[in-house]
Amino acid sequence: MMTRALASLRLRLPLSLSVSAILTAIGMAAALGLQTLANLREDQGRNALTLAHAMADVQVQALRNDDVWLAYSLLRGPEGGAGDAVWILVDDAGRIFASNDPRRFRLDQPLAEAAPWLADRPAVPLDDPIGGVFPVNQGEARRILRLPLYSDGTQTGELIALLSDAPYLPRFREILIGGVIVTLGVLVVLVPIGWLWGRRMVAPLARLTDCMARVGKEDPRQMNCRLEFGDGEIGRLGRQFLAMIAALAEKEALERQMIQAERLAAVGRVAAGVAHEVNNPLGGMLLAIDTYRRSQPVDVPTRRLLDLLERALNQIQESISALLIEARADTRRLTPQDLDDVRTLAQPKLASVGARLAWHNDWQAATTLPAAPVRQLLLNLVLNALQAAGQAGRVVVHVAAHADRLSMRVENTGRPIPPERLTHLFEPYSAARSDHPGIGLWVCYQLASQLGGSIGVESHEGVTGFTVSLPLDAPRVL
Amino acid sequence: MMPSRRHFLTMLLAGAGAASVRAEVGPLRFGLTPVVLDDQIGFLTDWAAWLGRQLGRPVAFVQRSRYREIMDLLLTGRLDLAWICGYPYIQHRDRLPLLAVPYFQGRPKYRSYLIVAADTEWQRLADLEGRLFAWADPDSNSGYLFPRYRLATDGWHPDRFFRRTIFTWGHPRSVEAVAEGLVDGAAVDSYVWETLARRDPSVTARTRVILESPEFGFPPLVAGPHLPASERERIRRVLIGQVQDPVGRVLLTELNLDTFSIETPDLYRGIAEMADRLSQVVP
Repeated sequence: MMTRALASLRLRLPLSLSVSAILTAIGMAAALGLQTLANLREDQGRNALTLAHAMADVQVQALRNDDVWLAYSLLRGPEGGAGDAVWILVDDAGRIFASNDPRRFRLDQPLAEAAPWLADRPAVPLDDPIGGVFPVNQGEARRILRLPLYSDGTQTGELIALLSDAPYLPRFREILIGGVIVTLGVLVVLVPIGWLWGRRMVAPLARLTDCMARVGKEDPRQMNCRLEFGDGEIGRLGRQFLAMIAALAEKEALERQMIQAERLAAVGRVAAGVAHEVNNPLGGMLLAIDTYRRSQPVDVPTRRLLDLLERALNQIQESISALLIEARADTRRLTPQDLDDVRTLAQPKLASVGARLAWHNDWQAATTLPAAPVRQLLLNLVLNALQAAGQAGRVVVHVAAHADRLSMRVENTGRPIPPERLTHLFEPYSAARSDHPGIGLWVCYQLASQLGGSIGVESHEGVTGFTVSLPLDAPRVL
Repeated sequence: MMPSRRHFLTMLLAGAGAASVRAEVGPLRFGLTPVVLDDQIGFLTDWAAWLGRQLGRPVAFVQRSRYREIMDLLLTGRLDLAWICGYPYIQHRDRLPLLAVPYFQGRPKYRSYLIVAADTEWQRLADLEGRLFAWADPDSNSGYLFPRYRLATDGWHPDRFFRRTIFTWGHPRSVEAVAEGLVDGAAVDSYVWETLARRDPSVTARTRVILESPEFGFPPLVAGPHLPASERERIRRVLIGQVQDPVGRVLLTELNLDTFSIETPDLYRGIAEMADRLSQVVP
């Protein structure tokens, strides 16, 4: 769980920014601290050398006069031995003459005995009158100062100082603690900023990720992804993603349309087949009834029976014919006037419903489309729309030619059609159309298909629109 | 302003019983050796001021790090009086009239203390054989003469008993040298050691007394050979009377002394005998 949480950019980016802020601060503090320590050491060496030069003459005199106390009191300094270095004055025989650490470096003790490491390797050429400070690592000592003492060109002894870090460590620690406190103060400001900044940077990516997670689970057409479109990579990613979603939605819509078309075609074939199979015996039965009636006199009960049979058979034939829609080869071509007639034909319904109707017919071109089926198609749609719009509703009809196609659009402001019903809207006797099951839209679909065109519907809050698109140059097969 | 101030000073000096004529002969030069705590400048200034008021003549302290330098100045008349050790006194007692002797812990006496570092095991002088030792001054009784005399009477040669000796030129320094481990032992003035212990016990606490000498005459205040007898008497009176003066008593307390008194040179016979005997052993 933790690993997953850490893998998320939502945590990683703010964490990275915070960690880098912390590391930078620590690095800076450490660098400053080390630099300070180096400076302190350098100062210590320089001060010690200055001090050594300052007392060199008196120490030479002390050596010459065998005045141990004078040498000692000089080395001891004003702090009484609390100085930051161990000083040793060695005479020309290599014996300790004085030191401010007299218990460790005893009077008259050979230096080789007190500090073999010091005597073994002369760190400075002893004829160098300047002396110097050299790094060592011996016990407490980190640096060593060596200054040969001369009197009249003869070396009379050597002044040695063992410099340790001890006197500077408290100061260094102080500086370090100060640095840490300042660093913490800066971090208190930087870490939240880094955290928030990181979150802000990741937020669009996180939204995109959330949105992507929904792909495949939700209808791409219904997905509503709030994405930001900056100029950055994430913005481009977002745009690409939305384009992909749109393509998916289009594909989905096409698939649905195809499935619907195939289903409707199958239904059409079944209906035609059933009608054909039923129509032949039906015709035979009607002919038999007619022949029977003509060939011999029938009494009253028989005639009633025959009439009953004939009416029932006719009803069957009508129902079958209604399913078996055929855009009959009509010799008359469609004219704009035919479509305006539909407006007139719809007037009684318009009056009974009480809705408003807006009519725009912008089509003027000639066509090979037959007049009757197109008129029927448009009339069906307008009557349905008026019914759906209801009182105080509004129906808008647009007829126009786009390129080589005749486009008819009928909109109403009635209640929207639920999505699950839209799928089965054009099927005959659709269970989805419980309010008024019928074959009106089925007929429309069949007609549009047979005329080589298409019919579609979209329904949103406020507007439900049917769009029919027919080729102006209709196929002659009809 | 100036005339009135001078007038006031004159009145003050006259009131103190001073003859204003005396002021013209210059200050009384008072030599000090490290037999006392001579590093207390503030105290010395106060004492000089008090003495000057009492004597009607300014007093200037003259300090040298070696006893011998003070002795030279005193004997050649460049000092009027000095506070010196009993050892140089007996060497020059014929020429140096005794002015007064301080009382320390109720007696005009002191001792020599043989001290070692507090954290050592040494209990006797013999334990220090072959070790480092600090003398105070070659003219010091407690810090040089007595320990050498003691070594000689114990059968040692004073110059060969220790591996190495140094001079610290002062008793407080000898105490410090032992405390800091610069030397293994030292002989110091008991008055100095006790006074240091009272003033700042942190240093003396790091030392331990392993041997106390018999009592000797306390380092005396002596007059130079050229100081007139009348002046000697005046100084003597002031010193003897110091304990009666409130300021003088405070100064005596600072010095860790009880009073000054008049003693005879007999007080220093013990030192003289010791010096004689030692000179027979170590020429």
